[in-house]
Amino acid sequence: MNSPTSSPIRVRSGIVLLCVFLLAGFTGLGARVFDLQFQRNRVYDQASRTQRYAVVRQSPQRGLITDQKGRVLAASSMIYNVFAEPRRLLQNEQYKLTAEILQSILDVPGCEISKRILEANNPGFLRLEKDITPAQQQAILQARLNGIGIEEAWKRSYPTGALCSHVVGFVGNEGRGLAGIELKYDSVLAGKGGQDTYVVDVFRRPLAAYPEGRNPLQNGDNLVLTIDSVIQEIVREALLKQIKDYQAESGTALVMDPWTGAIWAWVSLPDFEPHHFSKATASQLKNRILSDPYEPGSIFKPIIAAIALDSGAIRKEEKFDCEDGYWGKYGGIHEFGNHRFGLLTVREIILNSSNIGMAKIGLKTGSKTLYDGLRLFGFGQPTGVDLAGEESGILRPIQKWSGYSPTRIAFGHEISVTSLQMARAYCILANGGTLIQPHLVRAIVNPEGQITDVTPSLVGAGYVIHPEIARWIVRQAMRAVVTEGTGDQAAIEGVEVFGKTGTANIALPTGGYDTSNYIASFIGGAPADNPKVIILVSIRKPNRALGKGYSGGRVAAPVFKEILQKTLAYLDDR
Amino acid sequence: MKTECQNIRFYERAAEPVSSAGDFAIEMVVLLLMATGTVFVYSAGATLAPDAARLRFYETPMFKQIVFFPLAVGILLLMKRVDYRLFRLQGPLLKSPTFYLVIFSFISLAAVLIFGEERNQSKRWLDLMPGPMYLSFQPSELTKWVMILFVAAYLDKVGEQIQDFKRRFIPVCCIVGLAVGLIVIEDFGTGLFIALLTFLLLWIGGARWWHLLTPLIVAVPGFIAAVMLSPTRLNRIKRFFSFLLDQEGLPYQAQQSLRAISVGGLWGTGLGRGVFKYGHLPEDTTDFIFAVIAEEMGFIGALWVLLLFTLFLVFGIRVVLRCPDRFGKLLSAGIVFSIGIQAAVNIGVVTVVLPTKGIPLPFVSAGGSSLLLTAAATGILLNIAMQSPESEEVLQG
Repeated sequence: MNSPTSSPIRVRSGIVLLCVFLLAGFTGLGARVFDLQFQRNRVYDQASRTQRYAVVRQSPQRGLITDQKGRVLAASSMIYNVFAEPRRLLQNEQYKLTAEILQSILDVPGCEISKRILEANNPGFLRLEKDITPAQQQAILQARLNGIGIEEAWKRSYPTGALCSHVVGFVGNEGRGLAGIELKYDSVLAGKGGQDTYVVDVFRRPLAAYPEGRNPLQNGDNLVLTIDSVIQEIVREALLKQIKDYQAESGTALVMDPWTGAIWAWVSLPDFEPHHFSKATASQLKNRILSDPYEPGSIFKPIIAAIALDSGAIRKEEKFDCEDGYWGKYGGIHEFGNHRFGLLTVREIILNSSNIGMAKIGLKTGSKTLYDGLRLFGFGQPTGVDLAGEESGILRPIQKWSGYSPTRIAFGHEISVTSLQMARAYCILANGGTLIQPHLVRAIVNPEGQITDVTPSLVGAGYVIHPEIARWIVRQAMRAVVTEGTGDQAAIEGVEVFGKTGTANIALPTGGYDTSNYIASFIGGAPADNPKVIILVSIRKPNRALGKGYSGGRVAAPVFKEILQKTLAYLDDR
Repeated sequence: MKTECQNIRFYERAAEPVSSAGDFAIEMVVLLLMATGTVFVYSAGATLAPDAARLRFYETPMFKQIVFFPLAVGILLLMKRVDYRLFRLQGPLLKSPTFYLVIFSFISLAAVLIFGEERNQSKRWLDLMPGPMYLSFQPSELTKWVMILFVAAYLDKVGEQIQDFKRRFIPVCCIVGLAVGLIVIEDFGTGLFIALLTFLLLWIGGARWWHLLTPLIVAVPGFIAAVMLSPTRLNRIKRFFSFLLDQEGLPYQAQQSLRAISVGGLWGTGLGRGVFKYGHLPEDTTDFIFAVIAEEMGFIGALWVLLLFTLFLVFGIRVVLRCPDRFGKLLSAGIVFSIGIQAAVNIGVVTVVLPTKGIPLPFVSAGGSSLLLTAAATGILLNIAMQSPESEEVLQG
C-alpha cells in the first residue's frame, strides 16, 4: 500500500478537533433540551395545554320554583340554538350556499345570515338563531351543513307570567338571578356546571378522556314557596280592579298565615312580565312591599294600644278626654274627618280612630316603653324575608325623639314602615303575641326529590305581648272597628272579621305632608277568635277628583273583604 | 501491482477476522439507535381511525419501518463483508464501482429534476416502484454518500498532489460542485451539507488552506442566490432570526416542536402517550422524531439518543485513528462525521437552535432510502474497523 506518510493527513489537528467540536455540540444540545424541559416549559405551558386539551362544558338545569301546592312558577327547559363556525364557512365562500339553504329553514333573509357570518367577531362561534322548532332542527340536521351546528341551551320560563313577578323575580340573559327569589336563592337554584376534558388532535377531535379535568354536572335545587298561586290570583285581581277604579298610583297586598309567618300572597302593583323584564319601567320593577316605606297612620293604632295595655300604663276601662275634636297642646292635634269625640275608652278610641285619644295614650305610656315595644314588634329593622333589597323603615332612636314624638307616633306619624312590617305586627297580634318570621320559601328540594331544607314554622318562642292583651285587641277592639266603626265595608255576614282602617298622609321628602294625596289601607283578618289569615291592603294615591272617596274604609276595605271572602272559601274548600 | 497484493492480504485477513470490542460497540450503538427509531416511528405513526382507514396497512410509516429495520440490518451486515478497498480509484477507472456510482448519481439527480415526485413543495423523490408497496428514493441522499466515497477515493489516488491547485484541486471541486449545484435547486439543506463535508474531507486530506478558500468565491454567492431566489427559504431564515431576537414569529413546525419537547419533563408523558403526534407536530415520524422522543420519554429519552450518538462518534473516531491506510481513514472519517453532523443538525433544528431544514435523524427517522443508505455506509465503516489492527501502535511499529 501507499506509504501512510505520502501525503499529510491532518489527524491530530483535524479529526480530533472536529470530534471535540461535535461532542461539544451534543453537550450543548443536551443543555438546550434540559432548558426547554425544565426552564422554558413554563413559557409554553399555557399554549400547549390549550392545544392538547379541549373542554366540553355542560350547563346545569336551574331549579324549579313552585308554589306551596307544587304549581310551577319558574322552570328551565332545554332549547336548541343554531350556531355557525365562521372560519369554516369563509373557506371557499361556503357561507353563500349555506346561507341560501338556511334562509328557507330559519325564515331569515340569506343576505342577513351572510352579513352576520362575514362580520362575526369570534371566528369559532356565532349564534344564528335561538330556540328553533323541532322541525327546523330536523331540517338542519338533514341538510348536513358544514360549519353549522345545533347547541343545547336552557331557557327560563314563567308560566304564570306577571302573577308572581315580584316574588319570583327573573334571570338575566346569562342565566343569573337578577331579582326576587331568583336573585336571593341564585346559588341554590343555579347548580354547578360540569365539564369533561379531552385530549384532542390538531382537528380538535377527542382522542381520550382526561380524568383530571372532569367535574360532574350538578343540577340546581328546586324551591317550594309558601305562595299559593290561587290566593295570589284572587289578591292580584281584586287589587288591580280597585286601583283601576280609583285611578290610584300603586298598591300592595299581602296574605299571611299569622301562626307561621308563611306568606301566601304577595302582590305589588304595578308589576311586570318576567319574560320581558328589560322592557319594564322602574315603577313596575319596584317591589313596594319591601322597598316603599310610608307613614302608616291609623293602622298603627292597635299596636300602640297593645303596647300601652301590655306595659300596664293604661287600663282597658280607662277613659280619655278627646277634647271635642281639637287639642291645642303638643302643636295642636285634629281628628280625621273633623269628628268630635268626648270621653272614650281604649276600645272606643280604636274603633273611632281618634287621633287625640291615641296621643294621650302615647303620652301616658311614655317614650321609653313605646320605643322598646315597637322594637319588639320589629319596626325599624328588616324582617329578614327571603328577598333582596328590603328596607327597614324609620324608627328614630329614642335620643332623637322630641316631646311631641309619643303623641305623633301613637297615631302613626313620625315613623315609617313597610307593608311587610305592618303585616307581621298584625300577625303577632292575631296569633296571641308570638314573634314570627315572614318567609317565602317553604322548602328546598334537591334534584332527586329529597327535601334538604325546611323553614321552621316558629322562629322565636318568646311573646312580644301578653296573649290575653293580644286577644283583647283582636276580639274586642279590632272586631268592633268592623262591626261598629270605620271598617264596616269589610264586614262579611257570618264571619267574625276584625281589622283596622288607615288613611295616612304622605310625607314629602322636603318635610311636611302632601295635603291632597293619601294612602288608603286596611289590615285585618278572620275569624277573630282563632285567626286563619292576616290580610293587608294598601292603595297609594287614589284619585280624589273622582269623588268616590279616598279613605281606608272606602278604598281598601272592600278589596280586603273580597280577598278575605274568596280566600276563606278557598281554604275551607281544601 | 500493489492492488493485487492488498487483495491477497484481505483474503488472508478474512480467514481470521479481527473483531474488537470497539467494533462490536459500533454495531450495538447503531442497532440500538435503529431499534429506538422503530419504536418511536411506530408510536408517532399512530393516527386516528378516519385517517388510518384511508391508508392500507402496508402504507403506514409503522409498517414500513418494521420492514426497513431488518432490511437495514441485512444491508449493514452485507456491506460489512465487502472489502472497502473495492471503492478505491487506484486501478482502471472503468473497473471502480465508485466511478459508476458517481455516474449513476448524476443521472438520477438529473432524472429527479425532470420526472421527480413533488412532496412538501420540493422535487426530491424518485418513485422506483409505483404500485401498492411503492418504493421511492431520494437521489440527493445517495449522492451524499457517493460524494464521500468519491472524494475519499480521489484524495487517496492523487495523494499529496492534491496540493496542485490547477491539476488536482480544481477538478474535484468541479465534480462535487456540479452535484451540489444540481441538489441545491430542490434540496438546499443536503446541498449545503455535501459542500461542507467535501470541504472537511479536503482539509483532512491535506489540501492547502488558500486552495480551500477559492471555491467559496463561487459557492458563497451560489448559496446566497439559492436562498434569495426561494421565498420559502428566505422566509424560514428571516423568521428564525426574528425568533432569536424576540421569540416570536416562529414557523408552526418549530413552535410545535418546542411545545412538544417542553411537555416532556424528566420522564416524559410515557411511551405512546404523547399528544403532539396527533397532527399537532408535522413530520413527526421523520425529521421531528426527536421531539416525539423528548415528549414521550422526557429528558431521559433525549439523553439516551444523545448518548448513543456520542458513543457512535467516539467509537467511530477510534476506527478512523486506527485505520492504517489513507483511503480507509478518509472514508471512515467522512462516514462518521456525516452521521455525527447530521444528528447534531437535526437535533439543532428540532430544538430550534438552527433554522428548519429537511435533514433526518440518522438511523432513527422513518424513511426507507435514507435508512438503507446510512446502514450501507455504516457497513463500510465496520469493514474498515474489522480490517484495522488493534491499535495505532501496531501500524506505526
